[in-house]
Amino acid sequence: MREGTPVFRSRTTAWLLLVPTLVILVIFLYYPAAQSFVLSMYRSNLILGTRKFIGLDNFRELFTGLLAPMYRQVVLQSIVFSAAVVILGLAISMAFAMLANQKVTGARFYRLLLIWPFALSPAIAGTIFSFLFNPQVGAVNHFLRMTLGIAPRWLDNPILAFSLVVGAAIWKELGYNIVFYLAALQNIPGELNEAAAIDGANAWQRFRSVTLPLLSPMTFFLVFTNVAYAFFEVFGLIDILTKGGPVGPSALHLDNAGLTTTMIYRMYQDGFGGTGSLGFAGAQGVVLLFLVAGITVLQFRYGGRNVHYGGGS
Amino acid sequence: MKRLTIVISLLALLVGTAYAQTKIDFFEAFSGPRQQWIQDRANEWNKQNPNYEVVVTPKSSYRDTLNSAILAARQGNPPALVQIFEVGSQQAKDSGLFVPVGSIPGAFDTSDYIKPVLDYYTIDGTVNSIPFNSSNAVMYVNNALMTKAGLDPKNPPKTYSGIIKACDALRAAGDTTDSCITFALHSWFFEQWMAEQNAPMANNGNGRDGRATQVLLTSQPALNIVNWIKELNDKGYYTYTGKLEDWNGSEAIFLQGQSMFHIDSTSEVNTITKAGKDGGWIATTAELPIADGADRAGVVIGGASVWIMKGVPADVQQAARSFIEYMTNTDNMISWHKLTGYFPVRISSINKLDQAGWFRDNPNYAVAFNQLLQTKSSTATAGALMGPYPQIRTIIEEAIQKVLNGASVDSAMNQAEQLANQALQQYNSNF
Repeated sequence: MREGTPVFRSRTTAWLLLVPTLVILVIFLYYPAAQSFVLSMYRSNLILGTRKFIGLDNFRELFTGLLAPMYRQVVLQSIVFSAAVVILGLAISMAFAMLANQKVTGARFYRLLLIWPFALSPAIAGTIFSFLFNPQVGAVNHFLRMTLGIAPRWLDNPILAFSLVVGAAIWKELGYNIVFYLAALQNIPGELNEAAAIDGANAWQRFRSVTLPLLSPMTFFLVFTNVAYAFFEVFGLIDILTKGGPVGPSALHLDNAGLTTTMIYRMYQDGFGGTGSLGFAGAQGVVLLFLVAGITVLQFRYGGRNVHYGGGS
Repeated sequence: MKRLTIVISLLALLVGTAYAQTKIDFFEAFSGPRQQWIQDRANEWNKQNPNYEVVVTPKSSYRDTLNSAILAARQGNPPALVQIFEVGSQQAKDSGLFVPVGSIPGAFDTSDYIKPVLDYYTIDGTVNSIPFNSSNAVMYVNNALMTKAGLDPKNPPKTYSGIIKACDALRAAGDTTDSCITFALHSWFFEQWMAEQNAPMANNGNGRDGRATQVLLTSQPALNIVNWIKELNDKGYYTYTGKLEDWNGSEAIFLQGQSMFHIDSTSEVNTITKAGKDGGWIATTAELPIADGADRAGVVIGGASVWIMKGVPADVQQAARSFIEYMTNTDNMISWHKLTGYFPVRISSINKLDQAGWFRDNPNYAVAFNQLLQTKSSTATAGALMGPYPQIRTIIEEAIQKVLNGASVDSAMNQAEQLANQALQQYNSNF
């Protein structure tokens, strides 16, 4: 298909077919987003039902007020958290997908096992991890006590707690990533690798120069969905595992917020954690929206250059 | 086939009219045996009152219960009854969505309620809600570990320094347990310890003479508490799971014999006493340890009460209140007390328990209860009223956690006070 050749004869048909999608997007996405923009300019309390226009005060509060150190820490943590989840998550998923793509007996079975964490809700994943890593009665510490005689405090040691939440978030998303990578790997024509092998390329060179570039469109897509996942969907996991805590070490000035409090979790705490400060939470929603939009723009501008779609263009 | 459909629909219609009851929705926060207890009382009442049906909806936590009730009401579908935690009282009143229990037609008798409980739920001279589950903080003692430390389990320490000395003794005895004392990192204990020193949490008579505008987190009594927790932590005597408000986590540490002392709600008396007996190490209860030199002014009521919502027909409100009066009647409060350890909030229940020798035979229940009865009535022990109290609780908990992670007590509490004052100021500016 050449660019500029219309598929539909009249524009009306095209728009008509788009209507259902647009209606859903407007009702469930654009309208609520617009509402949170409006809300962010108000002091609005869920419980009292009050609403008072205060202009940009909520944003001022976030960036220059008493809570600014807290919010700076939360934004920083969210970025580090998301970077870790996306980079480590995709690297591990790619490795697993390549292993699962090998022609061994029972490959289908392995693939199925790799995919199932995706079927769990974040809340269930969180519960599983909290059972496993409970410092007193969890299976992991029971095993560690027996073998190494140690019992790490997974939930109140700041570094362990942060790593645990990152690990749980990665594990939860593995299945999703592996499915997509497997599909992409199976679409790579075998001749390309064979040709490279005949030219004398070793396994690493074949991976680096053939497989990786051919996976890049999928990686590009997965980076996008994983960023969204890391910023928005990990809420349930955090709520069950750590409730956003523990606060970090004071010596590093990381004690203004819980170390596993991400932007979305803080938003929930302010909006529904007992005080019902909807306007303040709305302002945080707007900041989060701009941050993720910014990351996406950067990704399309710079990340897009490295994507290799294969074939001629 | 057609005929069958008609028969079935007719039958459904018949059943429908026969059971045309008015629903009384009750949002509550319990789960497990406690929720079952409430459900049982609802079933009994429903049987006696065929025109109404109490529908119990568990919402898993206090904060969620309040939020869902408010949201339901704003969407025009309020539940008749809502269980609201003590620190949500000011918000519930300010929301304007609830009706004071006494202003519903028909008499509401408050004379049978014990005073500390009634005091808490009285705002500006009006009793707003029906007292239900009430507790305070008490110390649980692992008798086996006390003996091991060479201490007398019948004479548990009563002050902050006493606890430290007992912990020193436990360590000197070569104990290998993880720690000496555990309690959930919960602002509720901080509030109890403030009351014991007769110190208000907020200005304007603890928010009862007028809206509170200042939270008093840098007063000497407040510093006494946090300094003690810091000392316990620095010496490796204090432990918790690392999660804020993790009641079950601390209880599990104690039940596994990992600590000699455990501070928890009286509502756990039954569970912990049983576990101690089954484990052979015997758990007893003791008065809450307090700051050295304090007067032991008493404890603040914790727990929740039941509120009735506006926007529900008057007859449903009346029926709803009659259900709660049934659920909290003399005998039911006795069974509730025995199931959990929550106080029987009625004087008549207490008298009946006393006559049956209950407190004599079950000293674990008595210690907790005497602590409440010996409380001196004052603004400090009546408990604070603050709109954003749930948020202030989190601020206090995070400040203590900072101290546990190495921040200085002064700086952490100063910062917490500023944040709490700002929360109050923002809340108050809604009016």
